[in-house]
Amino acid sequence: MAISSDVIRGYNDTMILYLLWEKPSYGYEISKQIKTLSNEKYVIKETTLYSAFTRMEKNGYIESFSEQNTDTGKRRTYYRITDAGRQYYREKCDEWILTQEVVEKFILKGDNHYGND
Amino acid sequence: METIKNYLESMFLNLPNTPEVYKAKNELLQMMEDKYTELKGSGKSENEAIGIVISEFGNLDELAEDLGIASFIQPNSQMPAGKTLPLEEVKRYLTDYAKHAYLTALGVMLCILSVCGPIFICAAAELSPRNADMLDSLGGASLFVIVAIGVGLLVYSSISVGRWKYLKTERYVTDFATTEYIHRAMESYKSTYAMLLTIGIMLCILSILPSIIFDAIWESSGFWSECSGGLLFILVAIGVFLIVMASMKLGSYTRLLHLNEQGTVGGNYVPGQQSEPQYIDPTTASIMSVFWPTVTCLYLIWSFLTFDWHITWIIWPIASIIHALVKNTMTK
Repeated sequence: MAISSDVIRGYNDTMILYLLWEKPSYGYEISKQIKTLSNEKYVIKETTLYSAFTRMEKNGYIESFSEQNTDTGKRRTYYRITDAGRQYYREKCDEWILTQEVVEKFILKGDNHYGND
Repeated sequence: METIKNYLESMFLNLPNTPEVYKAKNELLQMMEDKYTELKGSGKSENEAIGIVISEFGNLDELAEDLGIASFIQPNSQMPAGKTLPLEEVKRYLTDYAKHAYLTALGVMLCILSVCGPIFICAAAELSPRNADMLDSLGGASLFVIVAIGVGLLVYSSISVGRWKYLKTERYVTDFATTEYIHRAMESYKSTYAMLLTIGIMLCILSILPSIIFDAIWESSGFWSECSGGLLFILVAIGVFLIVMASMKLGSYTRLLHLNEQGTVGGNYVPGQQSEPQYIDPTTASIMSVFWPTVTCLYLIWSFLTFDWHITWIIWPIASIIHALVKNTMTK
């Protein structure tokens, strides 16, 4: 059972902002953390991730800056969360709790699985 | 890693060459590179790593809105490009045109050299006035023989590249690897080009030297003074040979690079200065397309009617000022 990308799309931003909460990070690190934290159940596509970055940067939720890696000497684009981003993250969390609460009511569980009588 | 880079480049090939697209391409490459390095580090084989990276790349559709490239990604408008010209064909094209450049330059050189025959033979006639008539006609004959060979070479060289005409009539593009090959080949040729061009131009300028030196020594009379004119043409001929060959060879590279549309990422390597200015209305465009020929005609007519050569040159600076003005005010 794979996650439908339509459903999860609305929450890519939430995941990225969560991972940026403590410290700035860069593209591959974020995608790796998403994979690990989701127990490899969700792998975010590069294009999805980049599209989320550009959109959130446009909306002022994150800022990008370029930094040289001390080990490899390569330049990388890092992203940092803004105050507006933190605000937006909290709203998204509330929204999810509500969504989850509502959808939960309609999910069959245990013995009632798939509506046995 | 090359495979991944090629994959990404080919995905972006027909997108407009804007800063946003460029940045997106770099960022995506960075992420793919990181992933690839880590997969390789964790013991995956080259092919496995490439497979995973490409399968997890996603779809450019997702970026369409952010990059303002929606119209390029819709399937019906995709691929305005044509057939792909393979690398082997490109290499053959370059070889053919290198030969073409050489033969054409040789033909032009012979046409210039043709006047040397009469000059030298006339000079020789001065030394032995008894055979003057015979030598004169020999000189005339040599001119025509050499011109005939020169023109023959020109015709032959243009026929020899006839099979490439289809590149002009049909739409062709080159893929990323090929474009880069051409670009590299052109870059490495450029130093040779600069040297040939410099020597060629220097020879043309210095061609006047023999006349000056010989005149100084033999006071503009006698065999050597007659010969100096011939030497002038020999120097000019060699100079022109170098200039023509060098620029025609460079031209073959730029023509190939021009196959890709300039606005797209694939056309990244199209030399910028080659682009024609875009005029706002078609009338200006059509007038400007015949601007320089018209100016040349005016210059020649005025000069030959009045023989005021000392002043008619003024037409050139004025014309360039007008041209610059029109170009700056009437272009898009």
